[in-house]
Amino acid sequence: MDSIYWPSFFFFFFGILACVFAVGVLVSRNIVRMAFYLVLSLAATSGLFFLAGAEFVGAMQLMIYVGGTMVLLVFGVMLTSQERFVDMKTWAGDWVKAFLAGGALLFVLIYAAFSVPAWRGIERAEAEALPVAQTATPLGMGLVGARVDKLDPAVEAPRDGMSGYLLPFEIVSVHLLVVLVGAAYLARAKRKITARIE
Amino acid sequence: MDPAHYLPLLLGAAWLVPLVSFVIIWVGYSLPQMAGKRASYRTSKLGAYVATGSIVLSVVLSFFAMFGVWLPSNPLVDATHHGEVLEEQHAEDGHAAAQASSPFKMVAAESESHAAGEHANNPPPKYYSGEWYNLCTFGKLKLSIGYYIDALTVGMFCMVSLIASCVHFYAMGYMHDELHDFTDPEVTLSNGEQLKRPGRYHRFFQYLSLFSFSMLGVVIAGNMAMVFVFWELVGICSYFLIGFYIERHSASTAANKAFIVNRVGDFGMLIGMMALWSSLGTFTFGDATDEHGNEVKGVFSQLRTEQNDYQLAPADSMVEEQTRIAPHSVGESASADGPAEYNTAGQWLLLIAGVGIFCGCVGKSAQFPLHVWLPDAMEGPTPVSALVHSATMVAAGVYLVGRFYPVFSPEVLLVIAYIGCITLFIAATIAITAVDIKRVLAYSTVSQLGYMMLALGLGGWVAGMFHLITHAFFKSLLFLCSGSVIHAVHSNDMTDMGGLRKKMPITAYTMLAGCLAIIGAGIPLSTIGFSGYYSKDAIIEQAFSFGSANPKHIILQWAPVVGAAITAFYMFRLWYMTFAGKPRDQHRYDHAHESPRVMTGPLVLLAVFAIGVGWTLPGTNLNVTNLLEQARPVGTLETTHGTLLPDLVVPNEHESHLDKFRVPAGIAAFGTAASGLLLATIIYLWNLLNPDELKQSFRPLHNWLWNKWWFDELYDYVFVKPTLVLSGWMAKCDLKFIDSILHGAAALCRGGSQVVDKLFDQTMVDGTVNTFARGTWDFGLWLRKIQTGRLRQYVLFIVVGTVLLFVAITFVQGYLTAS
Amino acid sequence: MFELPLANLLTEPVGVAHYVTVGAIMFVCGVLCMATKRNALGILMGIELVLNGANLNFIAFGSPYLRSDANSLGLDGQLIALFVIVLAAAEAAVALAIALNFYNNYGTIDVDRADQLQG
Repeated sequence: MDSIYWPSFFFFFFGILACVFAVGVLVSRNIVRMAFYLVLSLAATSGLFFLAGAEFVGAMQLMIYVGGTMVLLVFGVMLTSQERFVDMKTWAGDWVKAFLAGGALLFVLIYAAFSVPAWRGIERAEAEALPVAQTATPLGMGLVGARVDKLDPAVEAPRDGMSGYLLPFEIVSVHLLVVLVGAAYLARAKRKITARIE
Repeated sequence: MDPAHYLPLLLGAAWLVPLVSFVIIWVGYSLPQMAGKRASYRTSKLGAYVATGSIVLSVVLSFFAMFGVWLPSNPLVDATHHGEVLEEQHAEDGHAAAQASSPFKMVAAESESHAAGEHANNPPPKYYSGEWYNLCTFGKLKLSIGYYIDALTVGMFCMVSLIASCVHFYAMGYMHDELHDFTDPEVTLSNGEQLKRPGRYHRFFQYLSLFSFSMLGVVIAGNMAMVFVFWELVGICSYFLIGFYIERHSASTAANKAFIVNRVGDFGMLIGMMALWSSLGTFTFGDATDEHGNEVKGVFSQLRTEQNDYQLAPADSMVEEQTRIAPHSVGESASADGPAEYNTAGQWLLLIAGVGIFCGCVGKSAQFPLHVWLPDAMEGPTPVSALVHSATMVAAGVYLVGRFYPVFSPEVLLVIAYIGCITLFIAATIAITAVDIKRVLAYSTVSQLGYMMLALGLGGWVAGMFHLITHAFFKSLLFLCSGSVIHAVHSNDMTDMGGLRKKMPITAYTMLAGCLAIIGAGIPLSTIGFSGYYSKDAIIEQAFSFGSANPKHIILQWAPVVGAAITAFYMFRLWYMTFAGKPRDQHRYDHAHESPRVMTGPLVLLAVFAIGVGWTLPGTNLNVTNLLEQARPVGTLETTHGTLLPDLVVPNEHESHLDKFRVPAGIAAFGTAASGLLLATIIYLWNLLNPDELKQSFRPLHNWLWNKWWFDELYDYVFVKPTLVLSGWMAKCDLKFIDSILHGAAALCRGGSQVVDKLFDQTMVDGTVNTFARGTWDFGLWLRKIQTGRLRQYVLFIVVGTVLLFVAITFVQGYLTAS
Repeated sequence: MFELPLANLLTEPVGVAHYVTVGAIMFVCGVLCMATKRNALGILMGIELVLNGANLNFIAFGSPYLRSDANSLGLDGQLIALFVIVLAAAEAAVALAIALNFYNNYGTIDVDRADQLQG
């Protein structure tokens, strides 16, 4: 019996945590609890990111998602949380329909995941021999247009695979700005509309 | 003891004893009744004792035949490690004859000298055949009363007689209403009173005796003609028993329906028998020696000859016959380029024979499309339902498929598998919505029979027959339990029940054992479980093995798995609705009581069998699988390929026990059964989801299932109504034909012009335009309905679309890679 | 008795398939959230879960430690994941704004009440 391979152990730890809290979000009927479970699930996912060697993305996950987005969500929860919305009941029929469809989807996805032999993982010795790469710098360089991770002499055409993400980066920046302005506009306080639109 | 001498004697006696009881009751009660006298009710009980005593005697004789004669002379071989046996057998190829441990040594007496290890295909099982009495001989046609006894026959004798005697004992308690003048609460006479009639206690037992006798006759029969005679006897007995309360309209129609639907199937069976007889010239199954000392080959050895390595090949006479009937259908053997294994000469006749025989089984075993009679058959008293649904009537069909197995070509097996697959799915879905406790069980029977047929069709002979035996025990248990409940609350409707666990604990917990057995409860991948666990897992293993060999027929792999989930759901729905929760009808609940000992006794005995019939007797290798392995039909232990459909592969059954099929099959079976059980628990025990809300949101689906897929209405419209209209029309023609010729001629002219006007001007011209307009309008309205504006529904549409896309791509890819 | 491949679960490295499984579970939970929650914010949380499940797949496909062939997405996977995170933040902001607006206008956040687009 080999000794425990700790990355695998932590994968299962974080993976089960993420799944359990995701299911918690699903089955919980109280909106505040749902938000809380979502935070935990997202945080556990960032652990999975670290384990897969994506430490920068993991950190971003913690900061933007768990920090930023969740604060936003909780803010929304608080704004709209009145007694009658905190706990809204769903029809039994909807549950069953959703579970039938979701179960089929889950089956299809997992079936597909395990039907590719190359995805089953690598040998332990091979995994232990792999170097630990730092990804923050290459990511930053990739975003400003230089792919330092692809400076590989094996690639013959110099531009093949070398394109960076400068343009998408710029688009996303502008997009974020637009979104912030738009969100502020949408959510601004309005005069009360007395006649309900029916 | 010489089994060749004692087995026919013992089993023959076990078979005839119920007939004797039938005759005694007939002479004692029916003859005086015909003479206008009636036996007193006190002596009525005597008839029940005679019938019960006779069937108990049958049990004793059958078990003696099994344990005293068969097993000592044919020691069982542990067949759980087939792979090892296979290898071992290859290793000791030459000196296999000296070893008595290989299952392939179970050869018929005349091929004893044959070295078993020489080929992978199995020789005929050990059997004893012969005839007791020759009825008549017309040229080649010989009708005789004979026997064909192998391990399957002996096993079926034990099972049938045991269950029949449990039912007899149970009926002695259940039918006590018939011991005095009986007022039928369900029959109202024209003057508004309830029907009063003398009790018919003795007659019930008379029929039961005849029923047991007929079923045992089917099992022991040594030739097709005898099978057919007893087959019909079983049919007529079921007619009598289903129509026992003949005054009730529902009972008499149900009896008629059962009988007529069976006739449809029997017609096919006659065709199959004729096809076999006209080409092979014999009815007998086994080989025999005639009075001149010549060897007469039976059906099996003509179709699977020793020279041909026991592979199925149409006999020469069959090829001739097909050429004679259809000269143009001569097989491709005539053309030089066709390879030898695609020789289709005689295959079509073989297909007709096989499908024909199977048609009979479709009728008897209530397979789609002739499944409609079985759920109505519960109009009979509950003990009869138990007997019909487990050991006799429906078992006869599955048994016959098992008996005729060497005759079926891979194409026929494919037909059987698809029919079984459709049946198991349709019946299981209908059982979800039924609220009549017996109707749920009836549909579960149909579904389980579908399982057996599916297993047989996929090449899993032992799996199918094993499920037949385990199912017989747990289904008779379930029916007798439901009878006990009905006896207590005087209602069939599960919405009147609930909470009965406290009032009738024995019934509740024996029924729980039955439910766990039918869903195949057990520890996955282990050898610990209820009886259904072994047989159902064997079927699913075979389905996985078949599915991996035939990617085109992948649906046959997943149908039993899905069926397992549905089975678990409706069985526990039944149990929870009946025994758990709060009483729904306080009045009925207060009057409920546990049944008398004579009824609970059989329940406990059957529960013990339902739990343990799949187990191996400790310290021995005695279990049902090993026994059935002894009876494996000739030449079925080999992966066979279709001839008419060359890419069809029927895998060797022993391969299904390899880990690569066993592990996923075990996990799938356990997972689906557990999820069905969980869903039933969520809805009916924990009440987390409200069943009425579910009914509301699945209204169209619920209606569809509630009305049993509209099968009865469909048959009514397609067959019954046209027949009635046609016959009414004919009758009118007969009555008025002569008078109306002249009137008719005149009216015809006038009518003709009107018809032209109606048909052409109004219908065709106007109709076309209107239809288009209306069609467009309706289509638009229908499309509008999809746009519900509900966010959550749109999400579901996306999910369903994704899954469907995936499934479609998989299927297309499967076909592209397969072809 | 038990022949499940459970024994080497903890002693061998996991693969892409395991990550994809976790991602699939989160994805399906998110979809089911969207399909069953009547609260608009619940649906938003479902969307977050769905995005997160997809992200997990991107990371797994791009990771050098998880698969035995050379078809890894490489750093592209992580870059796409970053974009997804950023866009998710933007999406959350806009969706929240819509939800608040809906709440202001109708006095409820029950999405079943928002069926004016019904055909």
